[in-house]
Amino acid sequence: MLPFHSLPIARRRFVQGLALSGAAAGFTPALLARSTAASAAELRGTEFDLEIAELPVNFTGKRRVATAVNGAVPAPVLRLREGDTVTLRVRNSLKEMSSIHWHGIILPAEMDGVPGISFAGIAPGETFTYRFELRQAGTYWYHAHTLAEQTGLYGAIVVEPREAVAAPDRDYTVILSDWSDEPPLQIFTNLKKLSSYYNFAQPTAGDFLKDVRQQGLGKALDQRAMWNGARMSPTDYSDVSAATYTYLMNGTPPAGNWTGIAAPGERVRLRFICAGTATFFDVRIPGVALTIVATDGQPVEPVTVDEFRIGPGETYDAEFTMPDAEAHTIFAQSIDRTGYARGTIAPAPGMTAAVPPLDERPWLEPVDMMGAMAAMDGMGGGEHAGHGMAEMPPKARHARTEYGANTDMRVDYPRNNLDDPGAGLRGRPWRVLALADLRTPMGDPDPREPEREIELHLNGNMERFIWALDGIKLNDSRPLHFRPNERLRITLVNDTMMSHPMHLHGMWSDVEGPDGKFQVRKHTVVVQPAQRVSFRVTADAMGRWAFHCHLLYHMAAGMFREVVVA
Amino acid sequence: MISLAHPRTARFALATIVSVAVATPALAQEAPKQPPAAAQAEQSVNPAQEPQPAPPVEDHAGMDMPGMDMSGAGRSPDGQEMDMGKMQGGSAPRDARDSDDYADGYRNSTLPNYEMADKLSIPKILVDELEFATGNEGQGFGWTALVTDGPDDNKLWLRSQGLKNSRDRLDPESSVEGLWWHSAGPFWGTLVGVRQDLGKGGTTWAAVGIEGLAPYWFDIQLTGYVGTDGRLAARAKASYEILFTNRLILTPQVETNIYSKRSTDRELGGGFSNVELSGRLRYEFSRKFAPYVGFVWERALGDTADFRRAQGESPVERRVVVGFRLLL
Repeated sequence: MLPFHSLPIARRRFVQGLALSGAAAGFTPALLARSTAASAAELRGTEFDLEIAELPVNFTGKRRVATAVNGAVPAPVLRLREGDTVTLRVRNSLKEMSSIHWHGIILPAEMDGVPGISFAGIAPGETFTYRFELRQAGTYWYHAHTLAEQTGLYGAIVVEPREAVAAPDRDYTVILSDWSDEPPLQIFTNLKKLSSYYNFAQPTAGDFLKDVRQQGLGKALDQRAMWNGARMSPTDYSDVSAATYTYLMNGTPPAGNWTGIAAPGERVRLRFICAGTATFFDVRIPGVALTIVATDGQPVEPVTVDEFRIGPGETYDAEFTMPDAEAHTIFAQSIDRTGYARGTIAPAPGMTAAVPPLDERPWLEPVDMMGAMAAMDGMGGGEHAGHGMAEMPPKARHARTEYGANTDMRVDYPRNNLDDPGAGLRGRPWRVLALADLRTPMGDPDPREPEREIELHLNGNMERFIWALDGIKLNDSRPLHFRPNERLRITLVNDTMMSHPMHLHGMWSDVEGPDGKFQVRKHTVVVQPAQRVSFRVTADAMGRWAFHCHLLYHMAAGMFREVVVA
Repeated sequence: MISLAHPRTARFALATIVSVAVATPALAQEAPKQPPAAAQAEQSVNPAQEPQPAPPVEDHAGMDMPGMDMSGAGRSPDGQEMDMGKMQGGSAPRDARDSDDYADGYRNSTLPNYEMADKLSIPKILVDELEFATGNEGQGFGWTALVTDGPDDNKLWLRSQGLKNSRDRLDPESSVEGLWWHSAGPFWGTLVGVRQDLGKGGTTWAAVGIEGLAPYWFDIQLTGYVGTDGRLAARAKASYEILFTNRLILTPQVETNIYSKRSTDRELGGGFSNVELSGRLRYEFSRKFAPYVGFVWERALGDTADFRRAQGESPVERRVVVGFRLLL
């Protein structure tokens, strides 16, 4: 990746966005004030009127139309209270069907906001009234369950606990997202026509020569044989890159520098929400250690790290004490290292700190294709990738539908090393969060042992941009049937070379450790390439629900199953 | 040096050598009465002999040989046998799971506005080559284009290629095809349809073929034809992309054509009629638009060469080409 100062100006502006960009056509001092203000609009109470409508925006120097809620991108922060019953009247002022899904909130099936499954969507000009009781506290979010999620329809939800607890001095929601000047349908069709459409980091002849010089011909050839023989690219981290994306923090591009205020010694909580439609972010504040206190709204035993990866749909609450009166950069680089979202935490507006350079994009490693086979052999993956792999994990049980055109690769022995922070974060000189570090303090919320197991494989055909579960796309599939109140285990095996954040609606996903014991409660479970992750579900929510990859274009391409609790 | 050092290129060179070797018997036989025996060795190049059904969908191990075949047994540290199947292709074992079992008879919701994007038909236009050509047989223009439409498993293909140089007629391989493409595994598809030759003496053919991506990223198109005049024919194309950068891309390509009998109208002999090697270097200003320059070397073989000589032309044609590639 070129350093930014060497990029042509137009390109630099595209990647970094406009300093005075955002959700308005004209640039006004008020807008500047907003981008440095604590957060976007905030709504409190139990009754809300939300209007979904088009909004002219300019993030990159080009005027575009975003999808806003009450005139804001991101949508207003909803501050709710545990135990309250809230009423949200959502009016759709778009010309097309829309919807809002309350991501991570436990509620009745017909309030879940998935068109075709929970309800018929909200027709243009119509108002749908959502009403549900909040039976949980923590950081959540809401978003369109349509392609409008890409065009700005996402916002934070903070549910305050019923019982008063010690609050930090500063409390900010930090929504990370990816903006494109291209309409989402065009991104999808571009990927369907050419899956490498946005990947401009494929290995080149020059890379080969460099490897020959550094490692010798034999090793350089060996390194390529596995990938080229399998027709897989070792740089497929993301389908969509900064070739079209400008990454946003609270709706502000890097040049706009969203800023949160904190005085030295103040305790700060940043509620990170990944609303990226196709982007994982690696987040850090250089020089400031972050204590992760919650994920997906649920408290975890505090764990202090220097960096963490957040996938689409996930949330992480990170706390720290403001160390000094300096500015500190909140740096969130995309997993494919093509760009970043950036903000600042500082004692006063207008302060900035150095922005770290983007990392090199390493190749995926053999463990990311071959799972435990490679982890056991110590084939690449470094020291870290092999952790927790003292014993050979069980063999994956493939479905008969995984031998067709929708599956370009199968992993027989997936790895279950949840202590792997993932490709691109291995071997960091600082502490990086891994799934194994996350523990729910109260123990298993439903200590019943699972009565049965549903094994599902995440797979796809990268060449044709087909994504599927057990080799079956949504519209060729039948639902997963859960029996009322049963405790069951879902085991996911990722046969692909990309990480997939799998989101089960309506019920918690209680992730198990490699020992098969309950570890942490989540609503969005990231499964790394060639990895196996199991979670327990208590089927206590009657009705029809969505279960899908939260990468929007994977969901659209078929990596989606319906769940029926009946 | 760069290109020879690159593994993709090395394999391209090998493929080229194989192609030339296959073509050699045709070079030696001035007027082969039968299709050369060597053609039999080329899988599917000669399917027209007895029009073959599409390759089986379930088992295409022959086409799908992964270069990194991990099949076979390994051994875990505790000595336990690990039998690892092929990671790509193959057919389902007898005891494979049935994902529909999880449904217990339930069906998906029938509410309106269900997510249907996985069933979209997405039209695609790829004008791979649209070029001005100049060489020892004069100037002209050439094209290779593919229009496809349909969902993931079945598509309509319109495929055309051609060349018009300063001769008074189109190159004999100029044609347009209408084909039904059917997915036959993750990397391959079968083709069934019709080819119509363009220009003087053109024949209409029934077409059967395969196309796809071979290990190490070789794009392959093999098509067999049965003509309304009783002739059989086959066309084979293979290409590869060498990335100098992610935007500066060299595409070497090899093409050869075979006919069972001569066609005086078309000035084509029996047996291998030609072999063409080309390289086009494009710069992708965007994925949608990429201008290129290239070089094409084509050798007419057997009777086809004689036809050309009779016209006072050389059986060897060298062309410099300049054009652009479009993806829409």
